[in-house]
Amino acid sequence: MRVELFYTPGCEKCANVKDELKATAEKLIPDLVWRELNVLDELDYAVELGVLTLPSIAIDGEIVFSSLPTSRQLCGELMNRVKMGA
Amino acid sequence: MTFTIGKVASLVHVTPDTLRYYEREGLLDPAAKSRGGYRLYDREAVRRVRFIKEAQQCGFTLSEIRALLDLRASDRACCTDVRRVAVEKKLQLEAKIKAMKAMSKVLDRLIAECTSGSGTLNACPILMAFDKGVKEQANES
Repeated sequence: MRVELFYTPGCEKCANVKDELKATAEKLIPDLVWRELNVLDELDYAVELGVLTLPSIAIDGEIVFSSLPTSRQLCGELMNRVKMGA
Repeated sequence: MTFTIGKVASLVHVTPDTLRYYEREGLLDPAAKSRGGYRLYDREAVRRVRFIKEAQQCGFTLSEIRALLDLRASDRACCTDVRRVAVEKKLQLEAKIKAMKAMSKVLDRLIAECTSGSGTLNACPILMAFDKGVKEQANES
């Protein structure tokens, strides 16, 4: 599973929360790929996925959160996907 | 120093109706009213209207401009907040450009398909494509 966090540099909200989200996600899904993308460096890819607000989180190439989720919300989404894939 | 609505309008190259519209939209307030009930504006209002016009040039809607003006007036906001709003606007513009490019590609194809200038309208590939749904075709390409 691939989780991509689109952010804009200098976002304090992202900096405070992303490490916690990453740790939570990696604990739940051991082979998880976590990427943090500066939206200005990956503009074409962000537009392709439909990122319109920041920060946004995509899972396996699909925008799932258009603002930062709580750890619980992210876990719930990841677990749903694990169940659907099982 | 105060200005009448006509003076502000001429200074910033908009119509008085535009200024009244900004007022109804909560973007601009007169500093005072004259004895006769006419709106009077201060220098800040002139600056504010210029701000609105410049932001519109960058694609911001009036409600987005209101949010930007609120950010400008907020003690708690910082430059990073404004930057994020600008980056989000750029994302929206890029998404629109992408969609318009896809539409343009569909039109290229339709124009290329329409080689005959003397066919009947019933057989017009462009009209037939519109009947089928150009939007769907744009999404597919």
